Amino acid sequence: MEFTVLFLATAIVMLIAWRGRRPLALGLFGVVLIACIATYLHHATDTLSF
Amino acid sequence: MTQARAITLNALSLYAVALVLAAAYAAQFILHELPCPLCLLQRILFAALAVGPILNVRFGPCPSHYAMSLLAAVAGAVASTRQVLLHILPGDAGYGSALLGYHYYTWALIGFMTAIVLLAAILLLDRQFEEDGVVLPATGGAFAQIAVWLVIALTAANVVTTLLECGFGACADNPVGYELLKHAA
Repeated sequence: MEFTVLFLATAIVMLIAWRGRRPLALGLFGVVLIACIATYLHHATDTLSF
Repeated sequence: MTQARAITLNALSLYAVALVLAAAYAAQFILHELPCPLCLLQRILFAALAVGPILNVRFGPCPSHYAMSLLAAVAGAVASTRQVLLHILPGDAGYGSALLGYHYYTWALIGFMTAIVLLAAILLLDRQFEEDGVVLPATGGAFAQIAVWLVIALTAANVVTTLLECGFGACADNPVGYELLKHAA
């Protein structure tokens, strides 16, 4: 589910970058990037299974 | 490099991102290889690479726009490096099939590293950031506009396909089918 939300948020940031206000696009891009890093760290701490 | 040339280069980079997202879809729909969680994260970070060029096309080249893409490329390189390392042990067949000898996450790492080098190289060209008085076509012209909408459409399509694959719960580590379609059947 988190990946669907991240794709949706990225698409929204693109639309704002293309049609909306620049500061809003920059701020939302930062939020999306932090959310991506948080998702990565969440999965990076999973126990590896072989 | 003039502002007009920089905008053309940014439009070309958007076509490159669209090509990567389309290639990922080709593996998903033609080879029936569903993306794992780390693969999805790499796709998202490829899409995030496009936000900087979109801003450059609309507002003109700016170092902060390139910096945004650099940050996304570094995050993508970290994610793809982790996936390479997960499958580096001898005897590990890797995740998914290989293309020209490399798995998709290895190609992703090469793609992100290439993006980092190209972004650093384009930042060296200072003239693009100076006002040169040339009247540029509104929002970059048709070539750039098609590139922007192509990337946005592919990212929006990924919203739908990821929802179909993962459903409303956590994505499977090794997905074999579309979660939402299983429930619908």
